[in-house]
Amino acid sequence: MTRPPFEGATAGTSAPEFCGLTVWRDPPAAGPWNMAADEALARTAEQSGRVLVRLYGWQPDTVSLGGFQPFAESERQSELAGWPIVRRPSGGGAIVHGSDLTYCLALPMQHPWSRRPEDLYTAVHGALVDELCHRGVAAAMVSAELAATVPADNFFCFNRRAFGDVIITTSGGGTMAAGSKVLGSAQRRLAGVVLQHGSLLLRRHPSMGGAGSHAGLADLADGVGGGSSKLVVCWLSRLAERLGGPLTEMPGVSWAADDTDLPRRARWYAADDWLRRR
Amino acid sequence: MEQSRRYAKSHEWARREDDGTVTVGISAYAVEALTDLVFMQLPEVGATVNAGESFGEIESVKAVSDLYAPISGEVVAVNAELPGRLETLGEDPYGSGWVIRIQPADVGQLETLLDQAAYDALVGGESH
Repeated sequence: MTRPPFEGATAGTSAPEFCGLTVWRDPPAAGPWNMAADEALARTAEQSGRVLVRLYGWQPDTVSLGGFQPFAESERQSELAGWPIVRRPSGGGAIVHGSDLTYCLALPMQHPWSRRPEDLYTAVHGALVDELCHRGVAAAMVSAELAATVPADNFFCFNRRAFGDVIITTSGGGTMAAGSKVLGSAQRRLAGVVLQHGSLLLRRHPSMGGAGSHAGLADLADGVGGGSSKLVVCWLSRLAERLGGPLTEMPGVSWAADDTDLPRRARWYAADDWLRRR
Repeated sequence: MEQSRRYAKSHEWARREDDGTVTVGISAYAVEALTDLVFMQLPEVGATVNAGESFGEIESVKAVSDLYAPISGEVVAVNAELPGRLETLGEDPYGSGWVIRIQPADVGQLETLLDQAAYDALVGGESH
């Protein structure tokens, strides 16, 4: 059996100290580094008892697979030829990264939102829906009834519809773009912490075609995607309010400069044992 | 009320069998919370597991969850039919939905787990 990610993770305990949301904006990085940095964030959240978020991009543009997606499926997608591929520890479908904003939220297991997967989805996604609606964008979360009508095994995340996914039902200009998904998330649930990955699609990727091409916020709602930085701050501020505390934006990067484990774990995420585990 | 089962806080159950092995599964509460299970990865017979460490993974539509060994020992049996019939976990979590069987390194570890009343209190608290 392939060794799981989060090696050595155990059912640890820490004193909960839920006081809002702490966020870092990390520089774009390669897929394996991003996965290792997310793992480091989860450990910090578990040890500190704080709810943490890191926002990041990808350099180079990358396709991430869900934790159990067969690698061979990615090889059958002609539009992915030549793209770097990484496997996430979280579930869900494949995501084309490069015109999105990716977030990783780490929630200590003692928090009430950790108990059922949909509770955290609803909190994070509902905060974005609130902000988009505040800006006049017709956004909504996918209902369980709608989710049941769409196959859950589509290769690409943005072709799936799961409960809580954020969709735009009309554009700001009045053009119908019914049900375009702009935010999807997936979790890795450990004994002490929940790691939730999510991708906010800002605009259509310029060099991805076929089934992997999806309209983003800027394509669907005039003036919203272009101001994404402010939008994200407002979104996360709403989430922090739901957590009962302030949004704290941290300087620098989310990981410790002397974390020698991070490069080692990045190499592990880049290795075939993990990438081609299934 | 089931008196012979013990539970980990991470929602795995453990039950000592007459032959000295310990059967391990996932509690009904955890299965219900995960919903819509789609994939499961289990260890091989002969693998060594350590209490509190991951021995497998289970995926629902939007989440991958680790399965944690409630006690240490050697895996002596795996419910090989389970990954192809995940609905069994919900239908009969304490019977045909068992996951692995362990030859315990120290059967006394069972006493460190939650009894039924303590587990009921845990999930009762979690559900409110």
